[in-house]
Amino acid sequence: MFNFSDERTRWFMNHVLPHEPRLRAWLQGRRSAVFDVDDVIQETYTILAARETVEDIRNPRAYLFQVAHSIIVHHVRRARIVSIRAADDLEGFDPADQAASPEQTAIDRDELQRLAEAIAAMPGRMREAFILRRVHDLPQQEVARRMKLSESTVEKHIGRSFKFLIQRFGDSGRPGSRASRTVKAETAVFDRAKNQRGH
Amino acid sequence: MIARKTNEDIDDVAVAWVAREDRAPLSEEDKQALRVWLDGDPRRPGAYLRAKAVAMRTLSARALGANYDPAGFGGAEGEQRPSRRRIMAWGGAALASAAVVGVAMGLQAPRAYATARGEIRLTPLADGSTMMLNTQTLVRVKYDRDRRFASLDEGEAYFTVLPDPARPFVVEVAGRRFSTTSGAFRIRKLKGEPLDVLVHGGRLDLTSHAPPGAERAVVLEANMRLTARDNTAAVPRRASQDEVRRDLLWREGQIAFEGETLAQAAASFARYSDVRVVVPDPALAREPVVGLFAANDPVGFGHAVAEMFGATAEVRNGAVVLQRGSGEE
Repeated sequence: MFNFSDERTRWFMNHVLPHEPRLRAWLQGRRSAVFDVDDVIQETYTILAARETVEDIRNPRAYLFQVAHSIIVHHVRRARIVSIRAADDLEGFDPADQAASPEQTAIDRDELQRLAEAIAAMPGRMREAFILRRVHDLPQQEVARRMKLSESTVEKHIGRSFKFLIQRFGDSGRPGSRASRTVKAETAVFDRAKNQRGH
Repeated sequence: MIARKTNEDIDDVAVAWVAREDRAPLSEEDKQALRVWLDGDPRRPGAYLRAKAVAMRTLSARALGANYDPAGFGGAEGEQRPSRRRIMAWGGAALASAAVVGVAMGLQAPRAYATARGEIRLTPLADGSTMMLNTQTLVRVKYDRDRRFASLDEGEAYFTVLPDPARPFVVEVAGRRFSTTSGAFRIRKLKGEPLDVLVHGGRLDLTSHAPPGAERAVVLEANMRLTARDNTAAVPRRASQDEVRRDLLWREGQIAFEGETLAQAAASFARYSDVRVVVPDPALAREPVVGLFAANDPVGFGHAVAEMFGATAEVRNGAVVLQRGSGEE
């Protein structure tokens, strides 16, 4: 009933993951006691995993916001108590506002740079394990041998490195989020440069 | 709070599953346990899909190259001090002050960067701009007070230039000069092939040229591409999003084919590896190839293609030989 194929994962990586910071920021702007932002995000992704096909989704970003919106509605209804705030927000929803300009997408795409910086920010042993596994492409077993660790410890390091990256790439407003500040600063720089050109 | 698992706990379990899959294929027992776990909460499948996608994204870390040094990207001790990039972002006005420029921008002695066959390397520059060099590429870089200069002697490189209106970034290649104050672009000059420039973001100006005067007003914006032979005027054209995406896949260590002949595909691999892909049969060599492949794995490519066309792939004398028919030779 769920599709976790490489193809679906790749689609998700290319068309959904890059929008998570904006989605999170949008949800945080509508935060209420009725739902938890990260619950909504996970449930939204579950809907994407449950879809039979994603080929018919023309604008994945707009679709993503729509699904998240429908999940909020569901939570709000289930909670029975509808705050005035939540009700207002449901009315004022316009997915078209959320469409990215092509230029933004182009700049967002330069992701290897961000990955290089994210690896640099990992804590010591996790970083070492990650670099051996992913940059040098060694199997976990070989990473364990070189680091003189058990294979299950390496597996844990690798798992935590994925979590580290989930938080770093998906963050735009969690407290103490270094990643988001940097991303925003970079975007601001590009925006400024654009304005100077008279766009 | 209710005694329901938090979304963070769910992420912990999701990444643990993906890390286990990264170690080895799951046993039947594990697969069953994973199914049970996924069905237990409406948030879990989404968390698991995201963990898989992030793990997939990290595969491109291979393209950082064996010489990747986290210290060059604000790692380790860099955690405490703001990176140059952030200094620039926050202190745009302060950049006008010569003292800050000296510290933040670092004047550089000329330096050459080269990659071997099959190597892909991301190189940070003194001002936080970066270059990603593809296989067999040579770039020389020199930063001066009024100009950031790079010359691409051969190969292919992707430049991400951070803004500095006072100090343009100039790239010289094949007798032409391109200039920008900020942008991202890919430049390719292979032996015997025309110069090929693709702008990904920002803008790039063609500032000098041969023959004189012929290309004075050429401006390239995002998603524009220019190809030029030595003495012909270069005319830019629009590139589709899809073309741009495919053209830049090498940055993740991949090559994409969309109907190129097997002979052409084999030639593409020759740029990345000493192991040649050989297709003696001309009919087989004309078959169209579609798919995404690891650039540094000609043997894997050979096996995949053999399967596609009902051929066999045999590795001998440092070459992958593709042949149709069942071993009668």
